Order: sequence, then C-alpha cells, then structure tokens
Amino acid sequence: MTASRLLFVDDEEGFLELYRAAFSRDGYAVETTATIEGARERLAQGGIDLVILDIRLGEVSGLALLREIKAKDSSLPVVLSTAYARYQDDFSSWLADAYVVKSSELGELRQAVRRCLGGSL
Amino acid sequence: MSGRSVSRRSQARARPVRGVHGRARGPVLRSIRPRRMLDLLRRVSEVLETVVDPEVAAWSVLIAYTAGEGLGFNRAFLLLAEEDRIRGWFGVGPRSRDEARELWADLRQRGILPLDRLREPDLEAVEAERRRHAATLAALSHDAVKGCGVWQRAFIGRSHHPNSCVRHWAAVLDSRELAVVPLMAGDQPWGVVLADNFVTHAPIYHDTLEAAETLAHYLRAALERTQLLLRFQEEKRRRMLAEHATALLDTARTLAHDLKNPLALAGGLAHEMMTAPPADREGFTRQLGIVTAAVTRAEQRVAELVAGLASRADGISLGPVEVGALTERVTNAFRPLATSRQVRLLCYHPGRPLMAAAAIPSLERCLENLLSNALEALGESGGEIQVAVREDSGWVRLTVADNGLPLPAPMRVDPFAGGITTRRGGSGLGLASVRTLAEAMGGRVEYDEGEPGWVRFTLFLRRWS
Repeated sequence: MTASRLLFVDDEEGFLELYRAAFSRDGYAVETTATIEGARERLAQGGIDLVILDIRLGEVSGLALLREIKAKDSSLPVVLSTAYARYQDDFSSWLADAYVVKSSELGELRQAVRRCLGGSL
Repeated sequence: MSGRSVSRRSQARARPVRGVHGRARGPVLRSIRPRRMLDLLRRVSEVLETVVDPEVAAWSVLIAYTAGEGLGFNRAFLLLAEEDRIRGWFGVGPRSRDEARELWADLRQRGILPLDRLREPDLEAVEAERRRHAATLAALSHDAVKGCGVWQRAFIGRSHHPNSCVRHWAAVLDSRELAVVPLMAGDQPWGVVLADNFVTHAPIYHDTLEAAETLAHYLRAALERTQLLLRFQEEKRRRMLAEHATALLDTARTLAHDLKNPLALAGGLAHEMMTAPPADREGFTRQLGIVTAAVTRAEQRVAELVAGLASRADGISLGPVEVGALTERVTNAFRPLATSRQVRLLCYHPGRPLMAAAAIPSLERCLENLLSNALEALGESGGEIQVAVREDSGWVRLTVADNGLPLPAPMRVDPFAGGITTRRGGSGLGLASVRTLAEAMGGRVEYDEGEPGWVRFTLFLRRWS
C-alpha cells in the first residue's frame, strides 16, 4: 500500500524539519514548502493527499491558499496549523477539515492527520 | 460666604422685591452698584470659560451667589430637572445659624474673600461642600414639577406659594423669603437655583434677583458645556478602550506567532530528537541548532515584551536610542557650569553606535539628574566627573562617577529611595526619579563607592536588538 502524501506549508524551516522527521517516522510521504507559490506549484502537479497549512506565512495569509485549494478541489483535505487559536473565529478558517493549535506535543496534529485521511497512512 | 453686603446708603434708596409669584413692579430697586455687579459677572464668566467639571461650575456660581462681595445670599442651591422630577444637585453656604456664625467668623479672621478662590478651585473643598449638603439636597428633591413650566423669570417664593415645589423648598429650608431662579428648556424646567438669607433675613432686592438670574444662565451654559465635554471625553475613552482591545488582540496574535511558535518548535523537535535521535551527527547538530535558535528567539521576544510592558505601564514609549551620542550631547550642555566650578568633565563612549531600548526624554532626565548630583557633590571646590558609556552583554551601561563628597550615611542604604534631605542628594528626589525612569525603560540604576574616593552611579539599559 502506498503511503499517504502530506504537504506541509510553513514559513518556518524549523517546523518543516520537525514535520519531516516526525511524520516520515510515522510512515507518511512528507513534502514541505515554505511559500504559497511553492505550495501552488506542488499542488498543481497532483498526488497530494493532505495539506497541512500554517495560517501566518510571513506577511501572507494561509487562509487565501485554503480558499484556492477548496475552490479547485473541495475533496482535498486541509488541516490548518497555527499558533493563534483565535483564528478559529474567522469564518475563512471554517473551510478547513481540521484546525490544530501548534504545540511541542504533536499528538493533536497526528490525530487530525489520521482523521482527515480516514484512518489510513 | 456672607449675606451682609447691603450698605445703608443702598438700603436707603432700595426696596425689597414684593412679588410672590413674579417680579415686583414699580421703581427700580438697587442693592448692588452696577459696576460691581458687572465686575462680578465678568469674573464668573471668565472662570466658567475654563471650568471642565460640572460640580466646579456649580460651586463657582453658587459661591458668587453667597460671597459677601458677590450677591451676598446666605446660602444657595442648584436643583436639576430629571424627567418628572427635580433633584437637589449642589449647595453652598452654612447649614445653620451657628454654622454661619462660625464660618463667617473664620473667613473674616483668615481674611478670605471667597470670590478670589474661584480661579483656583480646591476640588477637595468642592467635594466636601457637596457631601456637606447631601441631606438638604436630597430633601429639596421633589417629584412634582408640574406648574414649574410657567416660570419665566426669577421671583421670591414664600411658604404659602401656590406651587407645591416652592412650598416644599420653603418648608425644607425653613425660609421666609426664597429667591427662586428658574432655568427653562422650552416650556420644560431644566433646573432651578434657590437662594435665601435664612440667617441675616436681609431683604432680596430687584437687581440682586436680576444678577442671580444672569449668573444662573451662565451656570446652565457652563453645565451644558461641561456635560458635553464629559460625554465627549467618555466617547473618547470608549474609543481608546476599543483601540486598546484591538491592539491587545494584535499583540496576542503577534505573541502567538513570535513566542509560542519558537517554543512549540523547540519543544517538538527536542521531543522528536529524544524519541528518534538522528542517525547521523550532521542531522543531530542541525536539529539541535534549530532548537537553540528557537529558544534564543523566544528569549529575545520575552525580553522585548518585558521592556514594552514596563514602558506602557509608565506611559513611556521605548525605541532605539544611540546612548553614546545622547550622553555626549547632554554632558556638553553641562560643560559651562562645570568649567565655572573648576570641575573637569570627561566623557567616554565607543566610536561605534550603542543602541539601547530607551525613551530620549527619560534618558536625558536620568543623565541630567546624575550630572547635577555629581556637580552638587563637588561643590565650589572643583574635582572631576567621569561619564562613560560601555557595552555589557545584553546591556548598555552609562556610568557617572565623581570624586566629590561621599554619600551621607543615611543615603547609602538606598540612595534612590527619595525623601532624604542631604547636601549631596538635595531632596533625594532626583535620584528617586532616576530609578523610576530607568525601571520604566526596562533598566535599572546602581550605586557604588567601590573605587576609593569615587562615587559612581550606573544606569543599565537593555540593548536594542
């Protein structure tokens, strides 16, 4: 069985390193990008099963990318991952399939990923 | 506050107002010379122009009603209409004959002319006056204001007046003759000023009543203006609170991103390294580097946050300040004074810029206080002051040292406590101010006499990163 392919979008290279290490060990195929442009290019190629998206990407909002993704393919699950819980109040974030507040404990993010992929790797 | 302003001469050619419901007809009755009355009106209107507190406005006008050099009433009250009710709002004057004798004797003895106090009202005295009359004002309040709407001019009310309000007021005040000065808003009562001579029983004259009417209109205008101003200030306060709340939300977002992010990253990666250490040394070093960088970033943000909060609490806005240049500028300003006192003033600072988180006016004040303190310690006999700016890891150190008199023993315990009067420290408040300002900028100030013969004060300011 092919491992699910995750695309992490975060402007902080450290987080991308963490996600690569943690989720690769969990058995996923992990791809990362630090920019919205990089994410658009990778998504255009296809083959991504789940996007994990930071909201604050430098001066750009990840919510704009969320809207783009859902407009093109509403079946592609997106997990929003951010340090600021109040973004949940923003109706733009309701398009996401899951919302996770960043933490040193990755359990919640792992659960959200599993849930969005229907329990599969 | 006295009701004895009517001269024999004026009494001889004046007659009291006779009317019960309205103004007396007949010859013009005068008790106050026109020039004096005009002067009184001018003084009160000038005072009211600058008043921003409704109670101070009421106090000012009622003082003019009761001052001996004013209208000379024994006491006066302002009542304000509220829907179907009229409520006692402010009062001035004695509450009893005994209190009147005591109060007037005290004013005479101390040579106080109440009108002279209008320009600088004592807010505590205003509040005390309001509290003193609280019971009377509550008793003067009346529910039925019907019938008050027909009053267009001031009049003298007595206990048998047809209007229940007037009868009520005359009864509460036990007043034989009560000057009733109505203030109307269209055909509805806006308020009323009541005044009488319950101690002296001096008659109330026609022109006194006219002046009372004019003053009451001044008061109404001032109250409306101050109330408008208060509403405006309240609106401004609400807007500021809303802006503050928005700013706090922005700060929370920024903190979440700039503080929680690095902590989550450091913790997460450290946990990952413990669970599954990278096989190669290069990977381990890279991940450890990320953890270290994240922790450092969080630490810097916390330091900035502490400095920012401290500055907000004291209303100081911190920014990057080049301490060397500022120190040289302030020190140079002291050179002429130092030279005239045979004091050698030296200033050292590195050639490169040393940026600290500070507020220029606060830092200038700190340095000025320290330099003044050093000059004072050297007196007229001369000596040396050394000012130095240095870098000290996360701090910028600004030192002012002098070889003058040592600190007196009582000050050495805590030279920044303030309140100790010594020759060296003056009032001691200068050094206390230095500490307050230094802490407001997120820094601190220290004192030492570690080098024999020298007294040294060191200001520590956070480096601006």
